[in-house]
Amino acid sequence: MSLKHEFSKGFWEILPPFRLVLGLCPTLAVTTSAINGIGMGLATTFVLIFSNLFVSLLRKFIPTQVRIASFIVIIASFVVIVELVMQAYFYQLFKVLGIFIPLIVVNCIILGRAEAFASKNGPILSLADGLGIGLGFTISLFVLGCIRELLGSGTILGIYVMWSGFEPFTFMLKPPGAFVALGILLALMNLISQRQARKGG
Amino acid sequence: MGGAKVRDVLRMVVVLTLIAVASGLILSLIHRVTKGPIEYQTIKFVKEPAVKKVLTGYDNDPIADRKKIVVGVDERGGPIELLIFPAKRGTETFAVALEGKGKGFGGLIGVMVGVSREGELLDIGITSHTETPGVGSRVRETSFTDQFKGLSTKKEIKVDGISGATYSSRGVMAAVSQAVGYVNEFREEIF
Repeated sequence: MSLKHEFSKGFWEILPPFRLVLGLCPTLAVTTSAINGIGMGLATTFVLIFSNLFVSLLRKFIPTQVRIASFIVIIASFVVIVELVMQAYFYQLFKVLGIFIPLIVVNCIILGRAEAFASKNGPILSLADGLGIGLGFTISLFVLGCIRELLGSGTILGIYVMWSGFEPFTFMLKPPGAFVALGILLALMNLISQRQARKGG
Repeated sequence: MGGAKVRDVLRMVVVLTLIAVASGLILSLIHRVTKGPIEYQTIKFVKEPAVKKVLTGYDNDPIADRKKIVVGVDERGGPIELLIFPAKRGTETFAVALEGKGKGFGGLIGVMVGVSREGELLDIGITSHTETPGVGSRVRETSFTDQFKGLSTKKEIKVDGISGATYSSRGVMAAVSQAVGYVNEFREEIF
């Protein structure tokens, strides 16, 4: 139960969309470009950090019977804050992410961390957990976004990188393309894990 | 036993209420802080490009010089406000841009309309729509919007619709008619 472990586990061991296979709705829906992935990831990270912190601080004060309702109120408040701030200062990103920002409320990762971790641990550990899982989620969305943007429109972060005769696979920008990209990434991760396990034992 | 249960229930109610009240207070505070910037952003990203398209030859900043006029009351008795973007040369307002809304195929279509003081339509620009992509969304093409240039505000607004997108075309015409109607009705306040 070290601080370092709580922070770093979110990057591989329980990397949210690939290991826990949670939070797939935003993962699949908004990763049509790398920048969207980062935006969605950071918005989720913000909510996750603060919901973890507040759930942890209030964990002895909230009766068990109403804990889920309380967690949801806390999570929803931070989601609305993200939505308003994004609309006020990052309008273009807000327009692209649109409906998926309010949907962070029902992102299983956030309620999952509140229930499984923050409600049982202290605020410092919960912060580390939220930050780690959130950044892991952000990186996952970024990688997925990069792959789909590269193959689907030939750019990365809006900069054209493919050769001039490149015909974009618009399929990759559509929902089925998201599943295919996710599947390939999952397979790759399992391959690496198997290799590691074999080496280790 | 009974007493403990009542206390438990009370505790649940009190805790949940406190959390909800605290959340409400914080959110209303944030809402107040972000209200101005959000209004500014919508004007900047949604209205400004359309205003710049429909007005030309001004030497002021129509966005900064915008004014609000009341054009009616809604069902709850609140005022319906309309933003007017004036185009000035020196101190004289020679044209204005204002937004009208009309019912298209998939919902309301917002159209920014430029009208000169003489009562001539300068140009129109679609600000918001939810029409079918590739079909109704073709009302954004200049081949359609250019037809509105030079029409008179004194006559009925009518142009050739896009075949296959009749409702959308009518929606744009209705939106333009609404804006023109405002100009005719509130001429004194607008110019």
